[in-house]
Amino acid sequence: MSMTTAALAAPSAATRLRMRRRRSWVSALALTLAGGTLALLVISWLANGGIAAIGAPGGAALTFGRLTGLVAADLLLMQVLLMARIPPLERAWGQATLTRTHRLVGMASFWLMLAHIVLIVAGYTQAGTLSLPGQIWDLVTTYPGMLLAVAGTLALIAVVGSSLRAARRRLRYESWHLIHLYAYLGVGLVLPHQLWTGADFLAAPGMTLFWWSVWSAAAGAIVLFRLALPLGRSLLHRLVVESVTREASGVQSVVLRGSRMARLRPAPGQYFQWRFLTGPGWTRSHPYSVSAVPGRDRMRITMSTEGDEGSRLTRLRPGTRVLIEGPYGSLTADRRMHRDVLLLAAGLGVTPLRSLAEHIAAEGGSARHPRPSVIMLHRISRPQEALFTAEWQALAGLHGIDARALVGPRGPGSSWMPAAIGNPARYLRATVPGLPERDVFLCGPQDWMRRARTTLLALGVSRRAIHRESFGV
Amino acid sequence: MKRILAAFAGTVAALVLLFSYRTSLGDAVATLPGSAAHVASGAQSGAAPTTAGTEPPPRAGTPAPSASATVVNGATEQTPYGPLQVQVTLAGGRITQVTVLQHPDAARRSQEINAFALPQLRSETLSAQSAGIDAVSGATYTTEGYQASLQSALDAVHHAA
Repeated sequence: MSMTTAALAAPSAATRLRMRRRRSWVSALALTLAGGTLALLVISWLANGGIAAIGAPGGAALTFGRLTGLVAADLLLMQVLLMARIPPLERAWGQATLTRTHRLVGMASFWLMLAHIVLIVAGYTQAGTLSLPGQIWDLVTTYPGMLLAVAGTLALIAVVGSSLRAARRRLRYESWHLIHLYAYLGVGLVLPHQLWTGADFLAAPGMTLFWWSVWSAAAGAIVLFRLALPLGRSLLHRLVVESVTREASGVQSVVLRGSRMARLRPAPGQYFQWRFLTGPGWTRSHPYSVSAVPGRDRMRITMSTEGDEGSRLTRLRPGTRVLIEGPYGSLTADRRMHRDVLLLAAGLGVTPLRSLAEHIAAEGGSARHPRPSVIMLHRISRPQEALFTAEWQALAGLHGIDARALVGPRGPGSSWMPAAIGNPARYLRATVPGLPERDVFLCGPQDWMRRARTTLLALGVSRRAIHRESFGV
Repeated sequence: MKRILAAFAGTVAALVLLFSYRTSLGDAVATLPGSAAHVASGAQSGAAPTTAGTEPPPRAGTPAPSASATVVNGATEQTPYGPLQVQVTLAGGRITQVTVLQHPDAARRSQEINAFALPQLRSETLSAQSAGIDAVSGATYTTEGYQASLQSALDAVHHAA
């Protein structure tokens, strides 16, 4: 079976410009809305006493306790929205940026929530007659919705604690993900005390409308885009495993066949979250990029079989049903600023770039629109890790793609290339003609991409022409 | 899968327990019964003695003529934390006394706020002789409820006059 069939025509320069404009428009709208909600909160806080309330007993702690609580609640919903896979937002920012922002906004919300708790307890203690422990007990046991809020806070602490870098490194992805689902519970459990004990929520009809809008937007987006849409797509396309091929030691490709695939149309370079219905373990989903589109109703993905799930994945058989979420990802041809590209991959990061390379190289070909130059550099440690060797050769003949494997252990110091290559900057300058007039697509481990990016920026590649995707969270 | 089911069952059990607690359905647990009397303790002779909470609050807007003064109840205002109602005593066209018939007291914090805010609002009313008084900082909702109830009482007096 030929693996070299581009499914979609690549977008023209004019289309790329229009799509770029639409993305910046969506981005500006999202930022304005987010900033607007924060401004609205501060205004309503000021209108409800705000600064003026400082004079009352315990007033300073209480009034800033209210403000931190309101902002924390707003940010809490925003970080839910950031992860809701809202299609226009995904296209505008890409999942890497969304994930980073989600982490940032989530952490900000968390620390503000802790400040809110400390300030409110301090303020109530100052204003009241109870001792500190007595006051805490009174707050938790007698105020409406407060016991639920404590439970919600504990859930959020578990989520944040398991997401701190040190903890995240030690946890399996599945354990981390299971704990992370408690974030939804936490967000839900802190709502009642906001309604029943925090009067700012229902202080004015406008504010009531505002909070219910944000809450239903967050809940609705999750239900629609994270549950209904993926489930609907899985049912519509009914994907099944068609064949499994060993690509290299510890790497296999799986070809999937589905129905009505023209309506799915993943852009080359995108990925899905896959759930293979193999029996036990089916609940775990994995992000795999589409490495080729062999024919109308098929997709090919390429995966490692060496991880925790390796043995289960090697047992995939033709006919296994598959659930999908996606397509996601912004490593796509339409994000380019320039015609020509340099593709840089480390290890299995080559999979999305494999289909992207073919897609971009098939563009143009007329006198007015010359073929793009596509250079693909694949960083691997050992020769047996090379992937798609025969396909790269075929693509070199068909489309003139220049694909090279850079083999060997890592070079000294901060080098992100094999020692044999020497200085990465010097190597790129010699190998890649017109580098500053190219877009660069990167896929590999975070740290590797960060170091590659530093070199590229130093070589004159513009920030906006560097596109990254990583599957680490 | 077993671990997921165990986590799910544990979570549901914890939620059932959480929601079986009173405050989890929106109620507050009263902590200091009878604190309303403490707030109304500034009452002077001439005002009809009332004790909030122990008997149904009187209807608003019916001036009750007494020997030397007019006593009138304001409307019951709903604040986010509970109802608030005042009673005004007028003599010779002047406000001589304000008594708070009921105020939010379910949560300890409401009691504390009202303990400092209500006496302040009362003395402001007596010097301003109207409902146009300054808000007490830290007691926005109490002030709003108090002003509205007071204004309705004063309006009732004007209609009767």
